[in-house]
Amino acid sequence: MRPFRRRGDELVARLEPAEARIVALLLDQLEQLLSAEVDDVTGDPVIARLLPAGHRSDPEIAADYREMTESTLRSGKADDLATVRAGLPPDGGTVRLDPEEAAAWLRTSNDLRLALGTRLDIREDTEPPEDLGSEEGQQLAVYYWLTGLQGSLVDALATGRAGRR
Amino acid sequence: MAGPLAPTRTPEETVEEHGDLDRPWVTIVWNDPVNLMTYVTYVLQELFGYDEPTATTLMLQVHEEGKAIVSSGPREKMEHDTSRLHAYGLWASYQRDA
Repeated sequence: MRPFRRRGDELVARLEPAEARIVALLLDQLEQLLSAEVDDVTGDPVIARLLPAGHRSDPEIAADYREMTESTLRSGKADDLATVRAGLPPDGGTVRLDPEEAAAWLRTSNDLRLALGTRLDIREDTEPPEDLGSEEGQQLAVYYWLTGLQGSLVDALATGRAGRR
Repeated sequence: MAGPLAPTRTPEETVEEHGDLDRPWVTIVWNDPVNLMTYVTYVLQELFGYDEPTATTLMLQVHEEGKAIVSSGPREKMEHDTSRLHAYGLWASYQRDA
């Protein structure tokens, strides 16, 4: 991977073929989870993290909040996901984003990290894996790779904003 | 001993209810182990227009104290702010100010 950098108004990165395939696979999994029947994913910790309760102690307010906001949140995530998929070179290569596409990549890459992080039970003190032989080690490696990708996008966007002021 | 013209509520109750109505609602961001510190700072700037030092201070409060109030106001606005934070994957909720 060549991390995201700002080129004028665009954000540009380069992905290896294997990296692009992993992102595509993760997008499919996230989409499947978000489009699953509500009853099939009730209690799923990833869904609970991606669509959290609006109020922590009052179930009535939390239910109100869900009713008012959940469909918009879900469609926003679906739109972002479609934008990322459209900008992802399937066999690796250059990713070139305008500011609006960059915002979608930022949110979706965060959702992917939240989903993986929840499944892997990431804590503040979790370290990158030493053993890449195990499945968990590989998933952790993907998590940290995504962290690097998203981190570079945040930094490039923040630098751009500082420059505008 | 209440006569027919006595108020149906005691004054204390009335005062309490007023106090309740006056208390604003707040939106809180909670610490979580996944969201990057730089990302949280960026999102707070993006959504609330905070300058970088203010957003950084709030992010550090989330990180070190476990939570921070990022906005306050009427309930509907806090509901909206919470949903905007959820769209960015921040762990947020709203409640009446404690």
